[in-house]
Amino acid sequence: MGVGFKIVPENCTECKRCVAACALAKGGYIQPLISRIGIDKRWPEAPVIRVCRFDDCDDKPCIAVCPVEAIHLQNGYVFIDEDTCISCGACVSACPYGAIFMNDKTTVAINCDFCGGDPACVKECVTAAISLKEDDSCQEA
Amino acid sequence: MSGSMNDRMLRIDCGGQSSSVWNVPQEVRDYVGGIGYGTKIVVDEVNPSVDPLSPENKIVLTVGPLTGTDAPMHPQACIVTKSPLSGTILNCYAGGFLGAEIKFCGIDGIILEGACDRWMYLIIEDDKVTFHGAGAIIGRSTEDAEKYLKEKHGRDLVTLSIGKAGENGVAMASVFSETRTFGRGGAGAALGSKNIKAIGFRGTKGVDVADRAAFRSLVQENMEGIKKSCAEEYNLVGMFSRFGTGAGMGLVQSRGGLATRNHSYGTFEDADKIDGFAYEKNFYTHGVACYGCPVHCGRVHKFTGRGGRELWARGPEYETMFSLGSDLMNGDPDVLAEANRLTELYGMDSLTTGVTMAWAIEMAEQGLLLTDPGLDLKFGDPNSILDLLVKIGECEGIGELLAKGPKRAAEEVGPQYVGSAMQVKNSGFAAWMPRRMKGVALAFATSNRGACHKRAPIGAEIIGQIDMDSYEGKAPLVKQIQDTVNAIFTLVSCRFHEFITPHDFYPRYIEAATGQRLSLEEFYLLGERIWNLEKLFNLQAGFSRKDDYLPERCYEPIMGEASEGAVLHREKYDVMLDEYYRVRGWNSEGVPSQETLDRLGIA
Repeated sequence: MGVGFKIVPENCTECKRCVAACALAKGGYIQPLISRIGIDKRWPEAPVIRVCRFDDCDDKPCIAVCPVEAIHLQNGYVFIDEDTCISCGACVSACPYGAIFMNDKTTVAINCDFCGGDPACVKECVTAAISLKEDDSCQEA
Repeated sequence: MSGSMNDRMLRIDCGGQSSSVWNVPQEVRDYVGGIGYGTKIVVDEVNPSVDPLSPENKIVLTVGPLTGTDAPMHPQACIVTKSPLSGTILNCYAGGFLGAEIKFCGIDGIILEGACDRWMYLIIEDDKVTFHGAGAIIGRSTEDAEKYLKEKHGRDLVTLSIGKAGENGVAMASVFSETRTFGRGGAGAALGSKNIKAIGFRGTKGVDVADRAAFRSLVQENMEGIKKSCAEEYNLVGMFSRFGTGAGMGLVQSRGGLATRNHSYGTFEDADKIDGFAYEKNFYTHGVACYGCPVHCGRVHKFTGRGGRELWARGPEYETMFSLGSDLMNGDPDVLAEANRLTELYGMDSLTTGVTMAWAIEMAEQGLLLTDPGLDLKFGDPNSILDLLVKIGECEGIGELLAKGPKRAAEEVGPQYVGSAMQVKNSGFAAWMPRRMKGVALAFATSNRGACHKRAPIGAEIIGQIDMDSYEGKAPLVKQIQDTVNAIFTLVSCRFHEFITPHDFYPRYIEAATGQRLSLEEFYLLGERIWNLEKLFNLQAGFSRKDDYLPERCYEPIMGEASEGAVLHREKYDVMLDEYYRVRGWNSEGVPSQETLDRLGIA
């Protein structure tokens, strides 16, 4: 099992299969507004892949900035409690990876929960722009 | 709602600046989507004799059952209208992200009717349409227009637009969507005639399917097949995946079929300077894909423009490497990339534009065409190519004549010069030589939209699976391909999808997505029905057997050793055309018999 995302924007072809896969995994249908991963084109340069980098993000400013303590770590992943969220958008602005999403459709902040360790997006990426970091804890042990 | 189809379209009354939701009736839904919807609606609602640029023409923009789903290689949207270029019924396609966003609006497309009384752009959010004055973007490029819409109405908008060519009524003007192109047939001029400069879509609706489990399994099976094909070294789509569509140029060259110098030669000595490998090796390249596509054949390149400016463009694609490359004797990849970019900015089909330019340059070199002061047209000359492109887009000077398309321009100069304008029904040849490939000859000539390469036995002939010089068996083969491709275009499949996907996928996909059951035979029959509906429209628009022929140059041998002996024999072509009409169930004038119409269920 992976321990975080390995992101290589130069490999990304911007096909957005990851976006569709995320929506399918989370909602059962396809609509980018319910997806927890975003691809921002920057032609002619490689795009920005926006997804929660819980393992790379040391400060996790979203947690501190939330006025109602709706965001916390759960099994190492950043978890947003949708019932507690008051849709203030503070976390959306605070996220250094632009990876918290809020829109008319969802009305609450949503982010990647790593699909509990087996992310749907990774399976769809044919160019390994998004893949799993290798879990080296076994080697260390 | 039938699974992945929304069963609703928007009828947009441009003159009245209003719109309404149109519940798609069953007799249209029987046509699955895409070209099927567009053709059925245009045939039912547009008089074949109308002026394509009049308010009486309609533009139908549609998607299909797989659009917006995660079925791979189904990003495209389809436009059907009466073509300003050919005067035939037209279907044309663009990839990118437009198709999916239309689906996310909870609709299966739009029908544009009438004409605005001044330049407008439309914003479509779900089923709500708003009209906005387009004064600020008139005279601007497709890129500027789409950027303006995004800046003003939100970056998440997916846009389409026309450039100055569409505004100016250039017959080969295209509709663009974020550099993807509804290229063929002048749909951009049709949109311009409605005084619509651009449209932005933003949808909030989800795309679901009728049978999630069956659909999921099909997508996975299809994805595995595509990934396997893409990993094969000599698989054509695999090569497109690694090097873009320009990867096949060397193969075409090796077969003496690379149209060069206005289709006079079959090889181009600088081909290896402008093919997909050359761009990949010598230029900054960022591979890009359309929505949901694992093949990612698109290429964004940086290059150096005239005057040393750093520019970038998506492309050129293979067909443009011919039309603005070999056919113009242009072996400079920077000039080719800039020419490609100019067609995007002005919003023109690089194919028909290039073919028309090749004819004009040949005529000018022979002293048969008076050009503008300061414009000394020569094959291979960068300024000739770039300046002429601008003139056509601006519709000024010699460009005003060429903007009518290759046949009409040639007719104005003199009927004796039509034979060297490489077109069918005024639509410029795609990048294939009919003299070299006899199946392509028949496909180009009998194409309902004119010189269409999407429905030609290109792959089988160019790789030598069948004898490209033979006339034998080509008539039934071309019919079969035309019918099959029309059928898969009801799903608005990327043309490359069928290269690496067994046909039985299509009816299975349709059933899993919408619940609509069709056998494979019924699916092919649907394609044939659409082909015949188009044919009937064209007959009523005044087309006849005489329009199913190629220009005179095709009856002369291609020059150069590699293509030795490649020529179209008049009598043999006639026999092949007779056979084609026969296998179609048409009479010797190309008119479908009553028996054929009955068999196809066409009232």
